[in-house]
Amino acid sequence: MAKARDRTEDFKDAVRQSARSLGYDEAKLASILASFIIHKPPQRSPFSKAAFKTLESIGELELFLLRHRKDYTDLHRTTEKERDSIEHEVSAFIKTCQEQIDVLKNSINHEEESSKGWLGITTAKANADTIAHKHGVVLILSERLHSVTSQFDQLRAVRFQDAINRAIPRRKLNRVTKKDSTETSKSGDVELSEPDELRSEPLRVQQQLLDDETRALQVELSSLLDTVQETETKMVEMSALNHLMATHVLQQAQQIEHLYDQAVEATKNVELGNKELSQAIQRNSSSRTFLLLFLFVLTFSIIFLDWYS
Amino acid sequence: MSLNLRHKQTECIARMLNLNQPINVTGTTNEEAYKILIYDKFCQNILSPLIHVKDLRKHGVTLYFLIDKDRKPVHDVPAVYFVQPNQSNVQRIIADASRSLYQTLHLNFSTSIPRPLLEDLATGTLTSDSIHRISKVHDQYLEFVTLEDNLFSLAQKSCFLQLNDPSAGDREIEDIVEKIVSGLFCVLATLGVVPVIRCPRGGPAEMVATALDQRIRDHLLSKNNLFTEGGNFVSSFQRPVLCIFDRNFELPVAIQHDFRYRPLVHDVLGLKLNRLSVQGEKGGMRSYELDSSDSFWLTNGALEFPEVAVEIETQLNKYKKDVDEVNKRTGGTHGAEFEGTDLIGNTKHLMNAVNSLPELTERKQVIDKHTNIATVLLGEIKERSLDSYAKKENDMMVRGGIERSELLSVLRGKGTKMDKLRFAIMYLISSETINPTEVEAVEAALRESEVDTAAFQYVKKIKSLNVSLASANSASRSNIVDWAEKLYGQSISAVTAGVKNLLSSDRQLALARTVEALIEGRPNPETDIYLAFDPRAPKSGSGASSSHLKGPFKEAIVFMIGGGNYVEYCSLQELAQNQQPAKHILYGTTELLTGGDFIEQLTLLGKKMGLGNASTPPQ
Repeated sequence: MAKARDRTEDFKDAVRQSARSLGYDEAKLASILASFIIHKPPQRSPFSKAAFKTLESIGELELFLLRHRKDYTDLHRTTEKERDSIEHEVSAFIKTCQEQIDVLKNSINHEEESSKGWLGITTAKANADTIAHKHGVVLILSERLHSVTSQFDQLRAVRFQDAINRAIPRRKLNRVTKKDSTETSKSGDVELSEPDELRSEPLRVQQQLLDDETRALQVELSSLLDTVQETETKMVEMSALNHLMATHVLQQAQQIEHLYDQAVEATKNVELGNKELSQAIQRNSSSRTFLLLFLFVLTFSIIFLDWYS
Repeated sequence: MSLNLRHKQTECIARMLNLNQPINVTGTTNEEAYKILIYDKFCQNILSPLIHVKDLRKHGVTLYFLIDKDRKPVHDVPAVYFVQPNQSNVQRIIADASRSLYQTLHLNFSTSIPRPLLEDLATGTLTSDSIHRISKVHDQYLEFVTLEDNLFSLAQKSCFLQLNDPSAGDREIEDIVEKIVSGLFCVLATLGVVPVIRCPRGGPAEMVATALDQRIRDHLLSKNNLFTEGGNFVSSFQRPVLCIFDRNFELPVAIQHDFRYRPLVHDVLGLKLNRLSVQGEKGGMRSYELDSSDSFWLTNGALEFPEVAVEIETQLNKYKKDVDEVNKRTGGTHGAEFEGTDLIGNTKHLMNAVNSLPELTERKQVIDKHTNIATVLLGEIKERSLDSYAKKENDMMVRGGIERSELLSVLRGKGTKMDKLRFAIMYLISSETINPTEVEAVEAALRESEVDTAAFQYVKKIKSLNVSLASANSASRSNIVDWAEKLYGQSISAVTAGVKNLLSSDRQLALARTVEALIEGRPNPETDIYLAFDPRAPKSGSGASSSHLKGPFKEAIVFMIGGGNYVEYCSLQELAQNQQPAKHILYGTTELLTGGDFIEQLTLLGKKMGLGNASTPPQ
């Protein structure tokens, strides 16, 4: 990749030359050049300190996710319980990060309001650019958090998919085994019935009845099992869908709230506008009457003066 | 490895935004993660095709300002400056530093900052006692605008006008050549290659080539040079060839009407820095962006306009079909019937549908955008009957002439004044001999339509000079009069050579043919007389090792001095595709001109030579 040329050395040379020409003494020159090498630790406002802390925590979250990603997705490494605990930890962490970001946002709004309260005199701390910068910082933080959460969502979706896949083959497996069991039981019956034909008849009939009952119970239980498993897979799918919908609905809710705020502002503006309009109409009509009166009086005074003189 | 200029420039800018430290992928937080970006107008043009505002946030930039705007202090934040090295910017930087607007300033200049300006900066910051604010100074060598992966422009205005100005002095020409050379040097430094330079003899191309060769040689000798390849002799297969041409080499391309999609959008609607604003369907201007992220633009940019309309239709139908399919699967159209066995499949379809919705909306947006552009284009084409202009000009070029009646009917028909002027100049260039009566008739027709004929007169004069100057050949190069004559002589002979090339049956541009010959390295009477420079080879050994200079190359950088346009770009890309195996060609120019802009420069040239009517009102 192409390198950019670092001209800081040339700049230092130029500084040295001009310092000498301006008549600076050696001590000053040394201190100036030292400032290039040793940077003073920058003083940070509480806002930026908090912002950096939040950035650090989001970075930690990312690292955590990276480390446990394999454990989470691979089927054989962890149990369900461990996966649940990971999920729980991650969501708690995300919540704290979100709270920190909200705190930062509120602090900006407070500053804005307090600066407006002083009769419009803005201090050096709270000018438009600084506020815009702080908004930018908050935006960057929230975007970062958003990307980390979407990564996590993807992992969760993979987990759901695995769960669904595990449920379906189980059903298929069960159906196959069920068929086998019914076949074997039927063949068993045929075998059993032949040698027992010469034995006592009523015993055989009773046994037959019992067998029928057991078979009926078996069929009923297996069908119950079937339906239960079907319901389980449906529940898993529903939760996945719900989760998917939830993110979209949340987005829409935010948008709707934004629209609502704008609409409220618009109605306020329209009201103010109406008031101004009515005032203008009043003034218009009053000025009209005044003008007519004035002209009237003038005409009469002219006629009077003419008649008088 | 093919040269991707846009990628490299974006990388350099990303590194610059990261305060010129290598970007580390691990999640460690940098103490200076939030910064403010400050640029000037020229650098804004450099940045805008490459980075969007939301990408800026990914690099940690919270705010971005123009350097001339009134800015308020934002403490404890470093500021990254990306400006051109000139006096006013330096003064502004000194003012900012003295006002302590930001915690530290990281200065990045778009090209090498000259020593006197650096000293000015030092003096200024010393006197205002703010030297501790300036943290670093870098030369970025990024003074060019990259529009596509292989299209760049130096954004230097009116180059053709200044170079061909009859009243231009030696000093001014040298200045312009110097500017072009520094721009080309920036391109080569960003790509990190030292190419072999080929150029035709005489004219600005040769001057630029020699100056560039000298500059690269000097730079390679200095320590910590920017070119990463070793100093040894590298075989010619790895190095690209840089072909430098002058606009006078092939004049018609800049003037004629072309009917392909990209040149049309550029010419008619005014595409600037990949941005376009057209009248939307519901009224009001809509602004669109057309760059490499738009797949339709990439694939269909070189098609003729009617085919483009057909493509839009097919895309629209495909989109409608996809949407119908999605609706059918999820039962969105009529009432959903829930069958038990089908439920799982149904939910899966639903999930797929929800996931594919964003992609579908994006496709629809692209189709809408191009439908809008095509509609506006169609309106313009119908109004100015641009299709007949394009066809007739093509015929003229191929046949070498045109029926007089047809010519006059076109000049009296539809089209703006600029269109008619362009058509008349194309007629002039395409006809081999000048028939004075016809030319008189053409001029009369132009004057009827109130067209300012200065440009026409200029081209006529150049062409007539050819007849008298055909024998004159330049003797020495130092004398300015001889140089001016040589310039004219070269331009005329180049124009006639270009015309002869065009008279052949296949309609390939002369530029494309020459570049093909230069890349393939086969002996060719035209290109054998071209000069060749190799900045890496030692100055003395030119004869023995010249074979590698003409050998086949895998990549080429074509540079046009004086202005280029999308027609050349499209034909060069076609050439690159048709080669066996496919080669890679970068195209660059001093500025991208539409036909109208170029005619304006010719008009000014004509006026400076004292031609043109005094009676007609200026355009």
